[in-house]
Amino acid sequence: MLRVRFHGRGGQGAKVASRVLGTAAFLEGYYAQDFPLYGAERRGAPIAAFTRISKEPVLERGVIAEPDIVIVMDETLLSDPLSSPLAGVREGCVVFINTTHSREEVRAKYKITAQVITLDITKISLDILGRPVLSALAGGVAARLSGLKEDSLSKGVEKETSEIITDRSVIEKNIEAAVHCYNAVESHPHPAPLPSRGTEVPEGEGRKTTVITVPFEPAITSSPAINTTGSTPMRKTGNWRLFRPVWDYEKCTKCMTCVARCPDGCIALNEDGFPYTDYENCKGCMICAEECPVKAITAEREVHSW
Amino acid sequence: METITIKTLKDLPPEENLLPGTAMCAGCGGLLALRHCLKALGDKTIIVNAAGCFTLLSIYPFTPFRNSWLYTAMASAPAGAQGVRDALDILIRKGRISPEENLKVVVLTGDGTAYDMGLSSTSGAIYRNLDFYYICYDNEAYGNTGFQWSPSSPFASKTATTMPGRIIPTGAELSKKNLFEIWRSHKPPYLATISPAHPVDLVNKFKKAEQFKGPKLFISLAPCPPGWGTEPSRSANFAKLAVDTGIWALKEAVYGEIRHTFIPKKFKPVEEYLKEQGRFAHLFKPVRQEETIRKIQEMVDGYWKEARI
Repeated sequence: MLRVRFHGRGGQGAKVASRVLGTAAFLEGYYAQDFPLYGAERRGAPIAAFTRISKEPVLERGVIAEPDIVIVMDETLLSDPLSSPLAGVREGCVVFINTTHSREEVRAKYKITAQVITLDITKISLDILGRPVLSALAGGVAARLSGLKEDSLSKGVEKETSEIITDRSVIEKNIEAAVHCYNAVESHPHPAPLPSRGTEVPEGEGRKTTVITVPFEPAITSSPAINTTGSTPMRKTGNWRLFRPVWDYEKCTKCMTCVARCPDGCIALNEDGFPYTDYENCKGCMICAEECPVKAITAEREVHSW
Repeated sequence: METITIKTLKDLPPEENLLPGTAMCAGCGGLLALRHCLKALGDKTIIVNAAGCFTLLSIYPFTPFRNSWLYTAMASAPAGAQGVRDALDILIRKGRISPEENLKVVVLTGDGTAYDMGLSSTSGAIYRNLDFYYICYDNEAYGNTGFQWSPSSPFASKTATTMPGRIIPTGAELSKKNLFEIWRSHKPPYLATISPAHPVDLVNKFKKAEQFKGPKLFISLAPCPPGWGTEPSRSANFAKLAVDTGIWALKEAVYGEIRHTFIPKKFKPVEEYLKEQGRFAHLFKPVRQEETIRKIQEMVDGYWKEARI
């Protein structure tokens, strides 16, 4: 069995990528299973999705703790403890990272001993689709690394995207982008397979129950209470950003529109009355740039620099 | 009583009572509205939050607020507010806290709670003349669980449970529930609609509401990029278009007496608001649903015709 784990940010398409791979494998005659991990998070927040591919029926359930292939759709997740995309990666695993950096740079920076492949699929997505939606592209990379055929990938992308997109030309572009990524990466050997779990139930085991008595606690200790106010800035949502707003103070008229339109309250005024944003928390929604009446704010592609 | 009104964006209160770093989506229109509401309300508040997207504002161990926050089930936020209000009143009466330490009790819910699950407990609280604020961030569906249809979803919108298809090409067949009128029938001291794209109007409404004791209710349109199928950068723009097309009327009602606070000089056609949103895309592609678009325009025209009498 091949176990593939996708890590992305909500809205990038990690869930659909896992479906594209699962459907492509299914259409090629394999048994396949795919599912996302839902948490109490949303667009921009770390998301994981999983695909299992096997010649035998897949009886294993639950999240994949020991993947053979890991697809990291957003490089900033590598330093995000909530996401931990490298957890459970063993010798011989294949780790794909969407980055502008080379594989040697990434291996050294994050001390990865497994096989590393890098490609800037965000750029490919912006070039072909015009939007940073990576589902078909990450699915394309995963299909190549899983050893599936190009034709199965195209059909998988078509089947999955036509369930959510009505515009035929957008579906075609997604297939084009997926195939482009499929051919842009080389196939890599898979690590030695781990035994499949869930197929055998040891006799007489696993049915023993131990009752744990939880002592009564008053509400003040048993319910979660937050005693420090105004602490969310520590979460640093700035790494959600794909584009950063940059102000041109030559053009800025200090009209306050950007300050008034920022949903996150990240924009403040400097000593001279010019607006600036808190890049540690700015999510890059770019409402400020859209709303600026004199177009003094431009969007610059965020490239993760070390 | 005369209230001080502000005129421009430069007069907005500079204090930020809602800090960055929340788990809300980039470009969340509801968050933008809430940010301005909390600027107007100040930091002496206690928020009673019903389950919804804004559940995720305070995820243990983080909170974006400078004030207290209490979490309730969807249907019971006004009941929670009653408990908090009573507790504050008792503490003040017993001299345990000074009247200066009094807090404004603010219920915060989405449209699923306000229009649907929590309607009866809200009705009860208004009926009892509970002294509280109610802010509804209305993104016109059950957004937190994947954008399923709610009674606030507008006619002909696509939600996860009103998918336009061969048999029902329009999407949602029913019209948006008129929560403003339902609440207004209780004749609360203050009731208003607000928009994140009109922060000056929003802040002035909160300032005006301050003078009243009793329920002070606010409904804000909340553009929702993932649910509406729009770019995060366009949220403020769609909030503005909703007002400029007449779809989202900015108004207030003092003890039931309605006054429109902003009437566009020339209304834009509703099509401008609809055509760029994913949730209305089926009205334009692959076949233009002329009849449905006209019906939406007629509903809006009908509202304003009636309102100007």
